[in-house]
Amino acid sequence: MTLHCPAPIPARAGIGLRSYHFREIMESPPPVAWMETHPENYFGEGGTALRTLERIRVDYPLSFHGVGLSLGSTDSIDSTHLRKLKEVFDRFQPTFVSEHLSWSSVDGRFLNDLLPLPYTEESLNLVCAKIDETQTELQRSMLIENVTQYLTWPDSTIPEAEFMAEVVRRTGCGILLDLNNVYVNAVNFHLDPVRFLNAIPSEAVQEIHLAGFDRVGRWLVDTHGQAVYPEVWSLYEWALHHFGPRPTLIEWDTNLPPLAELVEQASQADAMLGACYATPA
Amino acid sequence: MPPLHELQRAFAAAMMEGKGLTVTTSMRTGPARRSLALYRRLIRNNYVQTLKITYPVLRRLIGGHYFNVFARGYLKRYPSTSGDLFAYGQHFPLFLLQLESPRVLIELARLEWACHELHQVADSPLPSQEWIQTLATVDPSAVTFRLNPTVRLLRCVLPVHRVWYALQPEADGNGIDGLSLSPEEGGLLVTRGRGKIHVRSLSPNQWWLLQAVRDRKTVAVVECMAREFMPDLDLAQFLTGLSDPVMGPVFSLEIHP
Repeated sequence: MTLHCPAPIPARAGIGLRSYHFREIMESPPPVAWMETHPENYFGEGGTALRTLERIRVDYPLSFHGVGLSLGSTDSIDSTHLRKLKEVFDRFQPTFVSEHLSWSSVDGRFLNDLLPLPYTEESLNLVCAKIDETQTELQRSMLIENVTQYLTWPDSTIPEAEFMAEVVRRTGCGILLDLNNVYVNAVNFHLDPVRFLNAIPSEAVQEIHLAGFDRVGRWLVDTHGQAVYPEVWSLYEWALHHFGPRPTLIEWDTNLPPLAELVEQASQADAMLGACYATPA
Repeated sequence: MPPLHELQRAFAAAMMEGKGLTVTTSMRTGPARRSLALYRRLIRNNYVQTLKITYPVLRRLIGGHYFNVFARGYLKRYPSTSGDLFAYGQHFPLFLLQLESPRVLIELARLEWACHELHQVADSPLPSQEWIQTLATVDPSAVTFRLNPTVRLLRCVLPVHRVWYALQPEADGNGIDGLSLSPEEGGLLVTRGRGKIHVRSLSPNQWWLLQAVRDRKTVAVVECMAREFMPDLDLAQFLTGLSDPVMGPVFSLEIHP
């Protein structure tokens, strides 16, 4: 089955789609506006995951959030991975496709994590070239997400938000703004999250992520294994008034809760989006 | 600042080989070392988690501690080569073999890898009644068997399917006590039917016939084999049993003009 028309995603809350919840979603479709999933989970040629997504796609607009393209790597883009992405996107026609402003491979060896780039002119040129190549191959624009960092490269010459703004300017891509990542980085490195958000071009922000973190020693770690923390909800409220209402995802990937808890988090985001609509900036 | 490629290469070495990140002097400080240690832990946990998802029964059999030890050893010997982690654990049975692990672990790992692969392969549609009726009118030497993509044939010495069933998530695990693991001839048939994985043991004769199916022999050849070497086998009944929609159809037939 091929669906030809991407459904628009409204500025409401969605949830991450994980196989753990497949049966519950099929039996009782939850009251959320849209869903997001990792395209890499649908690279196969058949099976339950593909069939389930085909059915879910009928009722919910989709956003695909890639984790394996390694846009910041000095390796060339894995053409097989990119071809598979295109096949999945052509098949399911997601409204948004996104990837991370990070790297995860070098010399053909993968670390399969979202590793931070030094924000330099060299990195900027590399990332923009990779995004251009990806968007050309996919024949569509993509969103780029800010990642958590547990180290800062001391020789970075461009602030992260300015780096993202320049990527947007050069490539025409959009931004997937992960507010949990902004908060985690701000706490870990004693940064001002509002200063970061003020440097992000408002019109480029097309989707927002909210998630939970864990404390590991002195670090906050972006585990996606908890409910959204009050401090991140506060930052979200600020961001909604600053950027305006945006499609917002409750991202929960580990230590998965019952579907009802995920939906409750989405309802909370919807309530804040509703308040934002009622109170123009 | 070193070139990006040099920096990424040094970072990867620091992660996978436990080296310090000496490519940039400012990364030699204590806080930077703690950052690298955190990344090393997060990356390692990703891979261990991936292997846990791929080999849940093996993990349940040997326990989390020993499984993690194996997983960390595997990570060092078989680093990931793809942004898609689906195939990351494919060499795990070989790794266990290289370690001279007990045979039951190696064969159980082979079974679990087959199950994992089957989750994503192309569906195998059931043949229509019209097609089956057409088949009855065709010369059997012009029809070849073809093993469906949703099928794996595994040569196993030990009946590890019993362990596999006894340690499924819904099982209480008590069935593992007193389980007979005496060597058996034959093999295992692994199929995907209606979204679920099924494992059946095969007698030596059934194994031999399914080898012929896998080798794309003609219906005439398979009938001849069965007649000559397995006079007691009801071939039609055996083949019908392999077309059960619940367990997943095992083979399809191709007519050659």
